[in-house]
Amino acid sequence: MTSTPPRDKQPDTEPPGVPGFGTWRAVYLFVFGWFVLVVILLTLFTAMYA
Amino acid sequence: MNAADWIVMVASLVGIAAYGSWRTRHVRLNTYLRGESSTGWGTIGLSVMATQASAITYLSIPGQGFESGIGFVQNYFGLPLALIIVCAVFLPMYRRLNVYTAYQFLGNRFDEKTRLLGAGLFMLQRGLAAGVTIYAPAIIVSTVLGWRLDFVIVATGLLVIVYTVTGGSEAVALTQRWQMAVIAGGMVTALIVLIVRLPDGLGFTGSVAAAGALGKLHAVDFSLDPSRRYTVWTGVFGGLFLSLSYFGTDQSQVQRYIGGASLREGRLGLMFNAILKIPMQFVILMLGALLFVFYQFAPHPVFFNRAEWRRHAEDGRFRAIEAEHAAALAQTQSAILAWTRARGSDDAAREATARAAMVAASDRAQAIRAEARAALLAADPLARIKDSDYVFITFIVTQLPHGAVGLLVATMFAAALSSKASELAALGSTTTIDFWRHFRPLAAADEARNMRVARRFTAVWGVFAVAFALFAGFAENLIEAINILGSIFYGVLLGLFLVAFFLRRVGGSAVFFAAIAAQTLVIVMYFSLDIGYLWYNLIGCAACVVLSLALQAILPRRAGPGGRAP
Repeated sequence: MTSTPPRDKQPDTEPPGVPGFGTWRAVYLFVFGWFVLVVILLTLFTAMYA
Repeated sequence: MNAADWIVMVASLVGIAAYGSWRTRHVRLNTYLRGESSTGWGTIGLSVMATQASAITYLSIPGQGFESGIGFVQNYFGLPLALIIVCAVFLPMYRRLNVYTAYQFLGNRFDEKTRLLGAGLFMLQRGLAAGVTIYAPAIIVSTVLGWRLDFVIVATGLLVIVYTVTGGSEAVALTQRWQMAVIAGGMVTALIVLIVRLPDGLGFTGSVAAAGALGKLHAVDFSLDPSRRYTVWTGVFGGLFLSLSYFGTDQSQVQRYIGGASLREGRLGLMFNAILKIPMQFVILMLGALLFVFYQFAPHPVFFNRAEWRRHAEDGRFRAIEAEHAAALAQTQSAILAWTRARGSDDAAREATARAAMVAASDRAQAIRAEARAALLAADPLARIKDSDYVFITFIVTQLPHGAVGLLVATMFAAALSSKASELAALGSTTTIDFWRHFRPLAAADEARNMRVARRFTAVWGVFAVAFALFAGFAENLIEAINILGSIFYGVLLGLFLVAFFLRRVGGSAVFFAAIAAQTLVIVMYFSLDIGYLWYNLIGCAACVVLSLALQAILPRRAGPGGRAP
C-alpha cells in the first residue's frame, strides 16, 4: 500500500446524470421537497388516526 | 421451526458465507480499509442503507412500534436535510482530501492530538454501540433455539469476529446488497401475513383505526416540551445533527464515500437513502403498531423473551401473572370488538364510552406486562427486562410459512453479522491508521503488516463488544440504545469537523480543549437532566464550536505543524 491513496480525478461539478435533473441543486431541491411532502402526509395521517 | 426451515436456514447461511469467501479471497489493504474503488452508486446506496437499515432496524423498530407507537419516525426527520448537506459539503471535501479515515483530515487541519481525540471519540462511541448491536444476532439465535442470551452472545460474538477478520469491508458491501433484498422481501411477506391474519372482526382498516385509538399512531408531535423524546423539533434539529454526525464524520460511513468510484455515485447513493428512509421506517413502525393489534387477539407470552422468562418463572407468582395476562387480553379483545361495533353505529357517545373501555382494558394488559418485568427483576436484579426486540422475531418464527421462516431467520442473522462486521471493520481500520500508525510511523509502508494489525484490532474490538454486552445492562431497546449512545458522542465529533471545515482561524489546541469540555458538559447533562436525548447532538456540537471560538480568542496563536495558524 502507499501512505497517500490515489487522488480522485472526478471533478466536483460532474452532473448527476439522472433524467430530469441537470444539476445537483435540482436533485437537492427535489429531495427537500419530498421531505416536506412526507412530513405533511404524516401530519395528516396523525390527524386522521391519533 | 420445522425441518424444512432448518434446511433452508443452514443452506442460506452456508451460501452467503461461501459467496463472501469466494468474492473476497484476494484483498489488499487499500480495499480492506476503504472498500472496492469500483463500487457503483447502487451498491453504495444500498450499503449505506444496509448499515442503517440493518437487522437491528428490522428486529427492533417493529418492537418500538409495538410498545411506543410510530412516533419514533420523527427521529429520522433530520436525515434528508443532513444528507443534502453531506452531499453538498462533506463529500466533495473528503474526495479532495483523499484520506483513509475521516480523522486523518483532523490531523492535517489541526494537529495529531486533535486527530487522536476525533478518532478516540468515534471509537469509544462505536465500541460501546458494538456492545449493543451484538445483541441483534444473539436475540435471533436465542429466540430460535431457546438458549440463554448470555451464552448466545459469546457464541455469535466469536462468529462475528471470524467473519469480519476474514472478509473486510469489501465483503460487507458485497453481501449486504443481497441480504437487504431478501430481508426486504421477508418484511413484505411478514406484512402480508400480518394483514391476512388480522382479526376477522377488524380487518386492515379496523386494525389501523384500533391502533390509532390505542395511541399507537401518533406519528407527528409538535409539542415544545423538551423532555419528550420524539417530537418534530427533536427530529428536525436533534436528528439533523445526529445524522450529520453519523453520515459526515463516522468512519463506518465515510469509508464508503472515499471508496466509491466517483463523487457522483456517492452523492446519488446518499440521495437514494434520503428519499427512502422516512417512508421505509414508517412502514416498519406501522408493522409494529399492527402487531400490537394482532397480539391483542393472538395468544402470546406475557414476556416475549421466553428464554429469560423460563429461567426465572418457577414459582406460583409467575403463574398468577400469566393467568392475569390471559384474562386481561380476553377483556381487551371484547373491548376492541365492542368499540369497532360502536364506531360503526354513528353514535358518538357510545363510541366514546367504548373507546374509553378499550383503552382502559389495554392499559390493564400493559400494566400486567410491566408487573411481569418487575417480577423478573425482583427474582434476578441482572435479568434483561426489555423484551420489545423479541416481538417481531417471535411473530416471524410462529406465524410465517415454513421455509420462509428459515430463509428470513438465516438472512436476518447474516445481515446482523454483516452489520457487526461493518462496525468492527471501521473500528479496526481507524485504530490501525489513526492510532497504531501514529505510534509506529515506520510501519506504514508494510502493507501485509498493516493488514494483519487491522485484523487484530478488529478482533480486539469484537472481544470488547462481547464483554460490554455481557457485563453492561441497559434499559432501552436496541434501536434507542444505539441512538442514545450516538447522541452523547456524535455532537462533539461533528463540532470538531465543522470547526475544521469552516472556522479557519481556530487552531488545534483551542478545538482540542473545547471538544473535551463540550463532551464533559454533554455527559454531565445526560446524567443530570431529563431532556430528549436527540437534543444532545445539537448541544454537543454547539458547545464545541462556541468554546473553540472562545478559547481561540484566549489562547496564544502558534504556527507550525503541531498547531497550524490560519
